[in-house]
Amino acid sequence: MTHSELILYILTIGFEVLLCALVFARRLHRRLPFFAALCVLLLAGTLGLQFAYRHFGFRSAQSYDAYWLTAALIMVARGFAVAELCRVALRFYFGIWSLAWRILAVLGLLLMANAAVDASGQLDRVAIYGLTIERDFAVSCVVLLLAIISIRRYYRLRAEGIQVWITTGMLLVCLVDLINNTILRSALVGHLEFWLSQDHASVWGILRSQVDRANQWWNIARLSAFWLSIAVWCAALWKPLPEPAETPVLLPANVYGELTPAIHVRLQAFNDRLVEILH
Amino acid sequence: MSEIAIAVSLAGGLGLLIVWMLLEGRRSANTVRSAADLNLKESLPRNYQYYPQIRQALSQADRSYLRASAPPGIAQQALRERTAIARRFMDGLLEDFNNLERLGRMVAALSPVISREHETDRLLLSLQFHLFYRLVRLRLLTGRVPLDQIGHLTELVGRLTSRIELSISAIAALSTQGISSEYSS
Repeated sequence: MTHSELILYILTIGFEVLLCALVFARRLHRRLPFFAALCVLLLAGTLGLQFAYRHFGFRSAQSYDAYWLTAALIMVARGFAVAELCRVALRFYFGIWSLAWRILAVLGLLLMANAAVDASGQLDRVAIYGLTIERDFAVSCVVLLLAIISIRRYYRLRAEGIQVWITTGMLLVCLVDLINNTILRSALVGHLEFWLSQDHASVWGILRSQVDRANQWWNIARLSAFWLSIAVWCAALWKPLPEPAETPVLLPANVYGELTPAIHVRLQAFNDRLVEILH
Repeated sequence: MSEIAIAVSLAGGLGLLIVWMLLEGRRSANTVRSAADLNLKESLPRNYQYYPQIRQALSQADRSYLRASAPPGIAQQALRERTAIARRFMDGLLEDFNNLERLGRMVAALSPVISREHETDRLLLSLQFHLFYRLVRLRLLTGRVPLDQIGHLTELVGRLTSRIELSISAIAALSTQGISSEYSS
Protein backbone atom coordinates (compact mmCIF):
# COMPACT_ATOMS: atom_id res chain seq x y z
CA MET A 1 0.00 0.00 0.00
CA THR A 2 1.50 3.32 -1.02
CA HIS A 3 1.80 6.35 1.22
CA SER A 4 -0.98 8.23 -0.62
CA GLU A 5 -3.28 5.21 -0.45
CA LEU A 6 -2.71 5.09 3.28
CA ILE A 7 -3.62 8.78 3.61
CA LEU A 8 -6.79 8.21 1.57
CA TYR A 9 -7.74 5.31 3.84
CA ILE A 10 -7.12 7.34 7.00
CA LEU A 11 -9.23 10.21 5.67
CA THR A 12 -12.01 7.81 4.73
CA ILE A 13 -11.95 6.26 8.20
CA GLY A 14 -12.07 9.76 9.71
CA PHE A 15 -15.15 10.67 7.65
CA GLU A 16 -16.85 7.39 8.47
CA VAL A 17 -16.16 7.74 12.21
CA LEU A 18 -17.67 11.24 12.11
CA LEU A 19 -20.71 9.95 10.23
CA CYS A 20 -21.28 7.09 12.68
CA ALA A 21 -20.86 9.44 15.64
CA LEU A 22 -23.46 11.83 14.18
CA VAL A 23 -25.85 9.00 13.32
CA PHE A 24 -25.85 7.78 16.92
CA ALA A 25 -25.68 11.24 18.50
CA ARG A 26 -28.80 12.27 16.55
CA ARG A 27 -30.46 8.93 17.27
CA LEU A 28 -30.96 8.33 13.58
CA HIS A 29 -30.68 4.59 14.20
CA ARG A 30 -34.17 4.74 15.70
CA ARG A 31 -35.65 6.35 12.58
CA LEU A 32 -33.54 4.67 9.89
CA PRO A 33 -32.00 1.51 11.40
CA PHE A 34 -30.82 0.05 8.09
CA PHE A 35 -29.14 3.28 7.09
CA ALA A 36 -27.41 3.38 10.48
CA ALA A 37 -26.33 -0.24 9.94
CA LEU A 38 -24.93 0.73 6.53
CA CYS A 39 -22.88 3.53 8.12
CA VAL A 40 -21.48 1.14 10.73
CA LEU A 41 -20.75 -1.46 8.06
CA LEU A 42 -18.91 1.12 5.93
CA LEU A 43 -16.65 1.92 8.87
CA ALA A 44 -16.22 -1.73 9.87
CA GLY A 45 -15.49 -2.64 6.23
CA THR A 46 -12.79 0.03 5.88
CA LEU A 47 -11.18 -0.95 9.18
CA GLY A 48 -11.43 -4.66 8.35
CA LEU A 49 -9.83 -4.13 4.97
CA GLN A 50 -7.07 -2.08 6.54
CA PHE A 51 -6.42 -4.96 8.92
CA ALA A 52 -6.38 -7.47 6.03
CA TYR A 53 -3.99 -5.31 4.00
CA ARG A 54 -1.62 -4.97 6.93
CA HIS A 55 -1.84 -8.59 8.00
CA PHE A 56 -1.83 -10.38 4.62
CA GLY A 57 -0.36 -7.70 2.36
CA PHE A 58 -2.10 -5.31 0.00
CA ARG A 59 -1.71 -7.51 -3.07
CA SER A 60 -2.40 -10.86 -1.38
CA ALA A 61 -5.19 -13.22 -2.39
CA GLN A 62 -6.72 -12.94 1.10
CA SER A 63 -6.93 -9.16 0.82
CA TYR A 64 -8.48 -9.53 -2.61
CA ASP A 65 -11.15 -11.89 -1.21
CA ALA A 66 -11.69 -9.65 1.81
CA TYR A 67 -12.26 -6.68 -0.51
CA TRP A 68 -14.95 -8.46 -2.54
CA LEU A 69 -16.60 -9.90 0.56
CA THR A 70 -16.80 -6.40 2.07
CA ALA A 71 -18.12 -4.98 -1.22
CA ALA A 72 -20.85 -7.65 -1.30
CA LEU A 73 -21.87 -6.98 2.30
CA ILE A 74 -22.00 -3.22 1.73
CA MET A 75 -24.04 -3.75 -1.44
CA VAL A 76 -26.61 -5.83 0.46
CA ALA A 77 -26.71 -3.29 3.31
CA ARG A 78 -27.21 -0.49 0.78
CA GLY A 79 -30.09 -2.43 -0.75
CA PHE A 80 -31.79 -2.61 2.65
CA ALA A 81 -31.11 1.08 3.28
CA VAL A 82 -32.67 2.01 -0.09
CA ALA A 83 -35.71 -0.17 0.66
CA GLU A 84 -35.98 1.54 4.03
CA LEU A 85 -35.85 5.00 2.43
CA CYS A 86 -38.68 3.96 0.10
CA ARG A 87 -40.72 2.65 3.02
CA VAL A 88 -40.12 5.69 5.21
CA ALA A 89 -41.04 8.11 2.41
CA LEU A 90 -44.57 6.70 2.19
CA ARG A 91 -45.12 5.00 5.52
CA PHE A 92 -47.90 7.34 6.66
CA TYR A 93 -49.81 7.14 3.39
CA PHE A 94 -51.16 3.63 3.62
CA GLY A 95 -53.13 3.71 0.39
CA ILE A 96 -50.24 4.90 -1.73
CA TRP A 97 -47.76 2.63 0.00
CA SER A 98 -49.95 -0.41 -0.62
CA LEU A 99 -49.84 0.43 -4.33
CA ALA A 100 -46.24 1.67 -4.48
CA TRP A 101 -44.51 -1.24 -2.76
CA ARG A 102 -45.81 -3.64 -5.37
CA ILE A 103 -44.57 -1.43 -8.19
CA LEU A 104 -41.20 -0.99 -6.48
CA ALA A 105 -40.93 -4.72 -5.74
CA VAL A 106 -41.62 -5.66 -9.36
CA LEU A 107 -39.20 -2.99 -10.56
CA GLY A 108 -36.56 -4.18 -8.10
CA LEU A 109 -36.98 -7.83 -9.06
CA LEU A 110 -36.74 -7.02 -12.77
CA LEU A 111 -33.60 -4.96 -12.24
CA MET A 112 -32.03 -7.64 -10.03
CA ALA A 113 -32.87 -10.31 -12.59
CA ASN A 114 -31.23 -8.14 -15.24
CA ALA A 115 -28.15 -7.79 -13.02
CA ALA A 116 -27.98 -11.56 -12.51
CA VAL A 117 -28.36 -12.30 -16.24
CA ASP A 118 -25.85 -9.60 -17.12
CA ALA A 119 -23.29 -10.89 -14.60
CA SER A 120 -23.75 -14.55 -15.56
CA GLY A 121 -22.63 -13.79 -19.10
CA GLN A 122 -19.33 -12.32 -17.95
CA LEU A 123 -15.85 -13.80 -17.94
CA ASP A 124 -15.12 -16.14 -15.08
CA ARG A 125 -13.30 -13.59 -12.95
CA VAL A 126 -14.46 -12.32 -9.59
CA ALA A 127 -13.52 -8.74 -10.45
CA ILE A 128 -15.51 -8.54 -13.67
CA TYR A 129 -18.39 -10.51 -12.20
CA GLY A 130 -18.44 -8.29 -9.12
CA LEU A 131 -18.11 -5.06 -11.08
CA THR A 132 -21.00 -6.04 -13.34
CA ILE A 133 -23.26 -6.84 -10.40
CA GLU A 134 -22.21 -3.68 -8.58
CA ARG A 135 -22.89 -1.57 -11.66
CA ASP A 136 -26.34 -3.05 -12.24
CA PHE A 137 -27.11 -2.85 -8.54
CA ALA A 138 -26.25 0.87 -8.58
CA VAL A 139 -28.61 1.34 -11.53
CA SER A 140 -31.34 -0.51 -9.60
CA CYS A 141 -30.90 1.70 -6.55
CA VAL A 142 -30.99 4.88 -8.65
CA VAL A 143 -34.15 3.74 -10.47
CA LEU A 144 -35.91 2.79 -7.23
CA LEU A 145 -34.99 6.04 -5.49
CA LEU A 146 -36.08 8.08 -8.52
CA ALA A 147 -39.33 6.12 -8.60
CA ILE A 148 -40.05 6.95 -4.97
CA ILE A 149 -39.17 10.63 -5.52
CA SER A 150 -41.51 10.68 -8.53
CA ILE A 151 -44.35 9.08 -6.57
CA ARG A 152 -43.87 11.56 -3.75
CA ARG A 153 -43.86 14.47 -6.18
CA TYR A 154 -46.89 13.17 -8.07
CA TYR A 155 -48.96 12.99 -4.89
CA ARG A 156 -47.31 16.11 -3.45
CA LEU A 157 -46.27 14.41 -0.28
CA ARG A 158 -44.14 16.22 2.20
CA ALA A 159 -40.73 14.71 2.96
CA GLU A 160 -38.65 15.28 6.05
CA GLY A 161 -35.40 17.18 5.37
CA ILE A 162 -33.22 14.37 6.68
CA GLN A 163 -34.85 11.89 4.30
CA VAL A 164 -34.25 14.20 1.35
CA TRP A 165 -30.56 14.63 2.17
CA ILE A 166 -29.95 10.96 2.88
CA THR A 167 -31.64 10.10 -0.41
CA THR A 168 -29.47 12.70 -2.18
CA GLY A 169 -26.29 11.22 -0.69
CA MET A 170 -27.41 7.70 -1.56
CA LEU A 171 -28.12 8.73 -5.15
CA LEU A 172 -24.69 10.35 -5.38
CA VAL A 173 -22.97 7.18 -4.11
CA CYS A 174 -24.93 5.07 -6.60
CA LEU A 175 -24.22 7.37 -9.54
CA VAL A 176 -20.50 7.40 -8.77
CA ASP A 177 -20.54 3.61 -8.41
CA LEU A 178 -22.31 3.36 -11.74
CA ILE A 179 -19.64 5.42 -13.53
CA ASN A 180 -16.76 3.88 -11.60
CA ASN A 181 -17.78 0.28 -12.18
CA THR A 182 -18.64 0.85 -15.82
CA ILE A 183 -15.26 2.41 -16.59
CA LEU A 184 -13.31 -0.18 -14.60
CA ARG A 185 -15.24 -3.09 -16.02
CA SER A 186 -14.88 -1.72 -19.53
CA ALA A 187 -11.13 -1.42 -19.00
CA LEU A 188 -10.81 -4.93 -17.59
CA VAL A 189 -12.73 -6.62 -20.38
CA GLY A 190 -11.36 -4.30 -23.06
CA HIS A 191 -7.98 -2.59 -23.13
CA LEU A 192 -6.47 -4.28 -20.07
CA GLU A 193 -7.59 -7.83 -20.76
CA PHE A 194 -4.75 -8.35 -23.21
CA TRP A 195 -2.11 -7.17 -20.69
CA LEU A 196 -3.60 -9.11 -17.78
CA SER A 197 -3.15 -12.49 -19.47
CA GLN A 198 -0.31 -14.69 -18.13
CA ASP A 199 1.50 -14.36 -21.48
CA HIS A 200 2.36 -10.80 -20.56
CA ALA A 201 3.32 -11.46 -16.94
CA SER A 202 6.89 -10.45 -17.76
CA VAL A 203 5.92 -6.85 -18.51
CA TRP A 204 3.81 -6.37 -15.36
CA GLY A 205 6.89 -5.29 -13.40
CA ILE A 206 7.76 -2.65 -16.00
CA LEU A 207 4.22 -1.29 -16.00
CA ARG A 208 3.89 -1.32 -12.20
CA SER A 209 4.70 2.38 -11.69
CA GLN A 210 2.23 3.52 -14.38
CA VAL A 211 -0.48 1.22 -13.02
CA ASP A 212 0.12 2.50 -9.48
CA ARG A 213 -0.10 6.12 -10.61
CA ALA A 214 -3.33 5.49 -12.54
CA ASN A 215 -4.69 3.58 -9.56
CA GLN A 216 -3.85 6.46 -7.25
CA TRP A 217 -5.77 8.98 -9.39
CA TRP A 218 -8.59 6.50 -9.68
CA ASN A 219 -8.80 6.10 -5.91
CA ILE A 220 -8.71 9.86 -5.36
CA ALA A 221 -11.59 10.42 -7.83
CA ARG A 222 -13.67 7.56 -6.44
CA LEU A 223 -13.09 8.38 -2.79
CA SER A 224 -13.68 12.12 -3.33
CA ALA A 225 -17.19 11.36 -4.52
CA PHE A 226 -17.67 8.97 -1.61
CA TRP A 227 -16.50 11.65 0.83
CA LEU A 228 -18.87 14.11 -0.78
CA SER A 229 -21.79 11.75 -0.09
CA ILE A 230 -20.65 11.33 3.50
CA ALA A 231 -20.32 15.11 3.75
CA VAL A 232 -23.93 15.49 2.55
CA TRP A 233 -25.07 13.05 5.24
CA CYS A 234 -22.91 14.68 7.93
CA ALA A 235 -24.21 18.15 6.98
CA ALA A 236 -27.78 16.89 7.29
CA LEU A 237 -27.00 15.45 10.72
CA TRP A 238 -24.87 18.34 11.95
CA LYS A 239 -27.74 20.13 13.66
CA PRO A 240 -30.14 18.27 15.97
CA LEU A 241 -32.93 16.68 13.99
CA PRO A 242 -36.43 18.08 14.32
CA GLU A 243 -39.02 15.85 15.92
CA PRO A 244 -40.37 13.18 13.56
CA ALA A 245 -43.37 14.36 11.54
CA GLU A 246 -46.70 13.54 13.09
CA THR A 247 -48.86 10.93 11.45
CA PRO A 248 -51.16 12.79 9.06
CA VAL A 249 -54.89 12.61 9.59
CA LEU A 250 -56.27 10.43 6.82
CA LEU A 251 -59.68 10.69 5.21
CA PRO A 252 -62.43 8.21 5.99
CA ALA A 253 -62.11 5.19 3.68
CA ASN A 254 -65.42 5.87 1.89
CA VAL A 255 -64.37 9.32 0.63
CA TYR A 256 -61.94 7.97 -1.96
CA GLY A 257 -64.47 5.46 -3.27
CA GLU A 258 -67.14 8.11 -3.69
CA LEU A 259 -65.20 11.16 -4.77
CA THR A 260 -62.68 9.61 -7.14
CA PRO A 261 -65.17 8.19 -9.70
CA ALA A 262 -67.01 11.53 -9.64
CA ILE A 263 -63.78 13.40 -10.37
CA HIS A 264 -62.85 10.97 -13.13
CA VAL A 265 -66.20 11.39 -14.86
CA ARG A 266 -65.55 15.10 -14.96
CA LEU A 267 -61.97 14.71 -16.14
CA GLN A 268 -63.23 12.39 -18.86
CA ALA A 269 -65.82 14.99 -19.86
CA PHE A 270 -63.05 17.56 -20.34
CA ASN A 271 -61.26 15.15 -22.63
CA ASP A 272 -64.40 14.21 -24.58
CA ARG A 273 -65.15 17.83 -25.31
CA LEU A 274 -61.59 18.48 -26.45
CA VAL A 275 -61.85 15.48 -28.77
CA GLU A 276 -65.08 16.91 -30.19
CA ILE A 277 -63.30 20.17 -30.93
CA LEU A 278 -60.46 18.32 -32.62
CA HIS A 279 -62.74 16.33 -34.92
CA MET B 1 -15.60 3.41 -24.97
CA SER B 2 -19.21 3.72 -26.05
CA GLU B 3 -20.29 1.89 -22.87
CA ILE B 4 -18.42 4.43 -20.77
CA ALA B 5 -19.89 7.32 -22.75
CA ILE B 6 -23.39 5.90 -22.21
CA ALA B 7 -22.78 5.39 -18.47
CA VAL B 8 -21.34 8.90 -18.02
CA SER B 9 -24.19 10.50 -20.03
CA LEU B 10 -26.76 8.43 -18.15
CA ALA B 11 -25.26 9.35 -14.80
CA GLY B 12 -24.99 13.01 -15.78
CA GLY B 13 -28.59 13.06 -17.00
CA LEU B 14 -29.82 11.26 -13.90
CA GLY B 15 -27.81 13.62 -11.71
CA LEU B 16 -29.43 16.66 -13.31
CA LEU B 17 -32.84 15.01 -13.03
CA ILE B 18 -32.25 14.29 -9.35
CA VAL B 19 -31.14 17.85 -8.63
CA TRP B 20 -34.18 19.22 -10.48
CA MET B 21 -36.59 16.86 -8.69
CA LEU B 22 -35.15 17.61 -5.29
CA LEU B 23 -35.14 21.37 -5.84
CA GLU B 24 -38.63 21.33 -7.28
CA GLY B 25 -39.82 19.17 -4.41
CA ARG B 26 -38.43 21.61 -1.88
CA ARG B 27 -39.81 24.63 -3.73
CA SER B 28 -43.29 23.16 -3.93
CA ALA B 29 -45.07 24.64 -0.96
CA ASN B 30 -48.34 22.97 -1.78
CA THR B 31 -47.61 19.66 -0.09
CA VAL B 32 -50.08 17.35 1.53
CA ARG B 33 -49.67 16.78 5.23
CA SER B 34 -53.03 15.61 6.43
CA ALA B 35 -56.71 15.77 5.68
CA ALA B 36 -56.84 19.00 7.66
CA ASP B 37 -54.59 20.63 5.02
CA LEU B 38 -56.83 19.56 2.16
CA ASN B 39 -58.10 22.86 0.89
CA LEU B 40 -60.86 21.96 -1.50
CA LYS B 41 -61.70 25.55 -2.30
CA GLU B 42 -58.32 25.96 -4.00
CA SER B 43 -58.63 22.64 -5.78
CA LEU B 44 -61.95 23.28 -7.46
CA PRO B 45 -62.20 24.86 -10.90
CA ARG B 46 -62.17 28.61 -10.36
CA ASN B 47 -62.22 30.18 -13.79
CA TYR B 48 -65.73 29.04 -14.56
CA GLN B 49 -67.22 32.15 -12.95
CA TYR B 50 -65.98 34.15 -15.97
CA TYR B 51 -67.28 31.68 -18.52
CA PRO B 52 -70.62 33.37 -19.30
CA GLN B 53 -68.78 36.51 -20.41
CA ILE B 54 -66.31 34.48 -22.44
CA ARG B 55 -69.13 32.51 -24.03
CA GLN B 56 -70.80 35.75 -25.01
CA ALA B 57 -67.53 37.05 -26.45
CA LEU B 58 -67.04 33.89 -28.51
CA SER B 59 -70.64 33.46 -29.65
CA GLN B 60 -71.54 33.08 -33.30
CA ALA B 61 -74.16 35.84 -32.97
CA ASP B 62 -71.54 38.29 -31.78
CA ARG B 63 -69.29 37.40 -34.67
CA SER B 64 -72.08 37.71 -37.24
CA TYR B 65 -73.07 41.05 -35.82
CA LEU B 66 -69.50 42.30 -36.04
CA ARG B 67 -69.09 41.14 -39.65
CA ALA B 68 -72.35 42.73 -40.66
CA SER B 69 -72.02 46.06 -38.93
CA ALA B 70 -68.33 46.86 -38.31
CA PRO B 71 -65.78 48.02 -40.90
CA PRO B 72 -63.48 45.18 -42.11
CA GLY B 73 -60.45 46.49 -40.17
CA ILE B 74 -62.32 46.66 -36.91
CA ALA B 75 -63.93 43.27 -37.50
CA GLN B 76 -60.46 41.77 -38.08
CA GLN B 77 -59.19 43.41 -34.92
CA ALA B 78 -62.17 42.07 -33.00
CA LEU B 79 -61.54 38.56 -34.37
CA ARG B 80 -57.93 38.72 -33.22
CA GLU B 81 -59.05 39.79 -29.78
CA ARG B 82 -61.59 36.99 -29.69
CA THR B 83 -58.83 34.50 -30.54
CA ALA B 84 -56.75 35.93 -27.71
CA ILE B 85 -59.74 35.48 -25.39
CA ALA B 86 -60.09 31.89 -26.56
CA ARG B 87 -56.42 31.30 -25.80
CA ARG B 88 -56.80 32.73 -22.33
CA PHE B 89 -59.87 30.60 -21.86
CA MET B 90 -57.82 27.55 -22.77
CA ASP B 91 -55.28 28.56 -20.11
CA GLY B 92 -58.11 28.77 -17.59
CA LEU B 93 -59.39 25.41 -18.73
CA LEU B 94 -55.97 23.90 -18.17
CA GLU B 95 -55.84 25.40 -14.70
CA ASP B 96 -59.31 24.06 -13.88
CA PHE B 97 -58.43 20.60 -15.14
CA ASN B 98 -55.20 20.62 -13.16
CA ASN B 99 -57.02 21.72 -10.02
CA LEU B 100 -59.57 18.96 -10.36
CA GLU B 101 -56.91 16.38 -11.12
CA ARG B 102 -54.83 17.58 -8.16
CA LEU B 103 -57.87 17.21 -5.94
CA GLY B 104 -58.06 13.57 -7.06
CA ARG B 105 -54.40 13.02 -6.19
CA MET B 106 -54.76 14.72 -2.81
CA VAL B 107 -57.75 12.57 -1.93
CA ALA B 108 -55.80 9.47 -2.98
CA ALA B 109 -52.76 10.54 -0.94
CA LEU B 110 -54.88 10.84 2.18
CA SER B 111 -56.92 7.70 1.72
CA PRO B 112 -56.13 4.55 3.66
CA VAL B 113 -57.09 2.41 0.66
CA ILE B 114 -56.77 3.29 -3.00
CA SER B 115 -57.52 1.48 -6.21
CA ARG B 116 -54.89 0.73 -8.83
CA GLU B 117 -57.48 1.09 -11.60
CA HIS B 118 -58.56 4.54 -10.44
CA GLU B 119 -54.98 5.75 -10.12
CA THR B 120 -54.05 4.43 -13.55
CA ASP B 121 -57.20 5.96 -15.04
CA ARG B 122 -56.43 9.38 -13.61
CA LEU B 123 -52.89 9.25 -14.92
CA LEU B 124 -54.13 8.29 -18.39
CA LEU B 125 -56.87 10.93 -18.32
CA SER B 126 -54.30 13.54 -17.43
CA LEU B 127 -51.94 12.46 -20.20
CA GLN B 128 -54.83 12.46 -22.68
CA PHE B 129 -55.97 15.91 -21.63
CA HIS B 130 -52.53 17.43 -21.98
CA LEU B 131 -52.15 15.90 -25.41
CA PHE B 132 -55.57 17.12 -26.61
CA TYR B 133 -55.01 20.48 -25.00
CA ARG B 134 -51.77 20.99 -26.93
CA LEU B 135 -53.49 19.99 -30.16
CA VAL B 136 -56.37 22.41 -29.63
CA ARG B 137 -53.93 25.20 -28.75
CA LEU B 138 -52.01 24.44 -31.91
CA ARG B 139 -55.17 24.59 -33.99
CA LEU B 140 -56.17 27.79 -32.30
CA LEU B 141 -52.87 29.31 -33.33
CA THR B 142 -53.47 28.32 -36.93
CA GLY B 143 -57.08 29.56 -36.77
CA ARG B 144 -58.54 26.12 -37.43
CA VAL B 145 -60.80 25.91 -34.38
CA PRO B 146 -64.28 27.45 -34.53
CA LEU B 147 -64.43 29.82 -31.58
CA ASP B 148 -68.06 29.02 -30.81
CA GLN B 149 -67.06 25.36 -30.19
CA ILE B 150 -64.64 26.52 -27.56
CA GLY B 151 -67.43 28.63 -26.15
CA HIS B 152 -69.43 25.43 -25.60
CA LEU B 153 -66.68 24.21 -23.31
CA THR B 154 -67.53 27.00 -20.91
CA GLU B 155 -70.99 25.47 -20.33
CA LEU B 156 -69.45 22.10 -19.63
CA VAL B 157 -66.90 23.32 -17.12
CA GLY B 158 -69.43 25.44 -15.27
CA ARG B 159 -71.86 22.52 -15.10
CA LEU B 160 -69.20 20.10 -13.91
CA THR B 161 -67.97 22.45 -11.25
CA SER B 162 -71.38 22.95 -9.74
CA ARG B 163 -71.91 19.15 -9.82
CA ILE B 164 -68.63 18.41 -8.12
CA GLU B 165 -69.42 20.95 -5.44
CA LEU B 166 -72.66 19.08 -4.85
CA SER B 167 -70.79 15.76 -4.68
CA ILE B 168 -68.30 17.16 -2.20
CA SER B 169 -71.07 18.55 -0.04
CA ALA B 170 -72.79 15.16 -0.08
CA ILE B 171 -69.58 13.37 0.85
CA ALA B 172 -68.82 15.90 3.57
CA ALA B 173 -72.25 15.22 5.01
CA LEU B 174 -71.52 11.47 4.98
CA SER B 175 -68.09 11.86 6.55
CA THR B 176 -68.12 12.08 10.27
CA GLN B 177 -64.50 13.00 11.03
CA GLY B 178 -61.38 14.73 9.84
CA ILE B 179 -62.58 16.64 6.82
CA SER B 180 -65.84 18.18 7.84
CA SER B 181 -64.60 21.75 8.26
CA GLU B 182 -62.84 21.98 4.87
CA TYR B 183 -65.44 20.16 2.81
CA SER B 184 -68.51 21.85 4.13
CA SER B 185 -67.16 25.39 3.88
